[in-house]
Amino acid sequence: MAISTQETVTDGRKAGRANLGLLMGLAPIILMLLVFLVGPIWVNFIESLQAPDGSRNLHQYARIFGDSYYLIVIAQTLGFGLAVTVICALLGYPLGFALARSEGMVKSLLILVVVTPLMVNVVVRSFGWMVILGGSGALNAGLVALGLPKLELMYNWTGVTIAMVHVLLPFMALSIASTLETLDRRIEEAAMVLGAAPRSVFLHVTLPLSMEGVVTGGILVFTLAIGSFVTVLLLGKTSTMVLPLLIYQQLTTSSDWPFAAAMGITLLVLVSLVLWLQSRLRTAAMGARR
Amino acid sequence: MVAIEVTNRSDGRAALTGLPRLLVVYTIAISVFLIAPVLIVMIAAFTSGDFIMFPPGGFSLRWFDQVLSDPQFIVPLWNSVRLGIAATIISGLLAIPAALSLVRGVFPGRRWVETFLLAPLSLPTIILAIGLLFFASRIGLSNSFISLLAGHVIITVPYMLRTVLGVYAGVNREVEEAARVLGADRWRTAWYVTLPIIRPGVLAGAIFAFLMSFDEVAVALLLTNSDTTTLPVSILSYLVYNYDPAVAAISTIQIVIVIVALLLLERLFGIRHLMFASQ
Repeated sequence: MAISTQETVTDGRKAGRANLGLLMGLAPIILMLLVFLVGPIWVNFIESLQAPDGSRNLHQYARIFGDSYYLIVIAQTLGFGLAVTVICALLGYPLGFALARSEGMVKSLLILVVVTPLMVNVVVRSFGWMVILGGSGALNAGLVALGLPKLELMYNWTGVTIAMVHVLLPFMALSIASTLETLDRRIEEAAMVLGAAPRSVFLHVTLPLSMEGVVTGGILVFTLAIGSFVTVLLLGKTSTMVLPLLIYQQLTTSSDWPFAAAMGITLLVLVSLVLWLQSRLRTAAMGARR
Repeated sequence: MVAIEVTNRSDGRAALTGLPRLLVVYTIAISVFLIAPVLIVMIAAFTSGDFIMFPPGGFSLRWFDQVLSDPQFIVPLWNSVRLGIAATIISGLLAIPAALSLVRGVFPGRRWVETFLLAPLSLPTIILAIGLLFFASRIGLSNSFISLLAGHVIITVPYMLRTVLGVYAGVNREVEEAARVLGADRWRTAWYVTLPIIRPGVLAGAIFAFLMSFDEVAVALLLTNSDTTTLPVSILSYLVYNYDPAVAAISTIQIVIVIVALLLLERLFGIRHLMFASQ
């Protein structure tokens, strides 16, 4: 018995029994995801085909794509996601750089600064922004004390964008930092030894080599930005409507389930398209590097 | 509190000195931006006034007093803790055996299985939420807690899996082989050898999973009823109609719970490893 086990292990071959054990380890989690992830998405899809007259067709999708209001909401959702992604990339790059290149106590402190807001829930963080940006909030109180005019920062795109950038910036910074951490510093040193100025080392060596982190972080930020609604619910108004918030409102106020389901599938398709684009970009980038 | 914790652990070297001065200034400014909304909520909670205002009108703990005796917040707080613990335990039971199989197993389609298991990470939670809502009504699942728990397990299980995978992939398989050679069967090896080695990863994954469930809003918003309301949902619904220091006080309590969990995570595992390994 002991000998046969030993042989299996040292050979590295998988006997029938070993494979059975492996399947047993994976079966529960796969079953869970099939029932409570694939199942609900499938039911969602079926629900979205439900027409008012009881037949099954694309009626709900025709409602979305035949009405300029819903098309505007979809365009706003994508535009908002893109704006948040670009701002996060611009603000997150130097932060990610500082995270990757700092050491010791400063690094630990920076990581806590970046991670703590990431772990505080979105409702509380949006509430924090309401307290800061509101008409008589902390920022305006400061402006008034300085004799400056008040700013309209809440219930418009400005406030929603500020709060959403705050929510998603840590993802971008961490993604960029992890790429920079794995970057071989000797490449930069080589450029330096060969006479390149620090600025041109950064522009021609460091930045291009860390673009993968920007792209990974960007995809993550974009998919999260077009999929979340709590920030928009609390800091926006009716004109700052985005797709996930519209889905939520269709469910809770108008109880139009098939329509909400069709919008859910639309959002899912948008996210899947972005993820597919990412894998294409990555494959293309790897091909170019070779 | 945070600063002391970090000082204890660091080697005390001056660290930002190698960076350009402009970058140092920028980093400090962006750190203020990141911390500001969390800090301002905590400051607003300690006011003695009836409103949230700046500067706050005096110091008092009255809003904490009020919140801690208000079932409107205390019941959801315990609901959240219970839900988070249940989701974490189930995630662990599902993810640990799966991680062991994925790392040690050689079978066709291994990468596809891994991609499938981590898929919930890139799915907007609103889609999972409406799907579960339809699904529960379709199969006649009237118990809101079960569908809520299922949703939270789907959300937390990839975090657990990714953390355990990250730790286990670095474990030298010869240790396990030694146990097998010495006559331990598969289960004894897993229980007495593998599990103790990957324990830091399991604990870190568990804290991470708990935090994800504790903070989750979208699924909870659509699937809870008045008996199962979670803390973020009760804060959100209170916030829609009220705007007073009570929200700040209950939010502060939640922030403190999160910070304690994070410091625990830092002690046990190092947030750095978790964050960077998880990319």
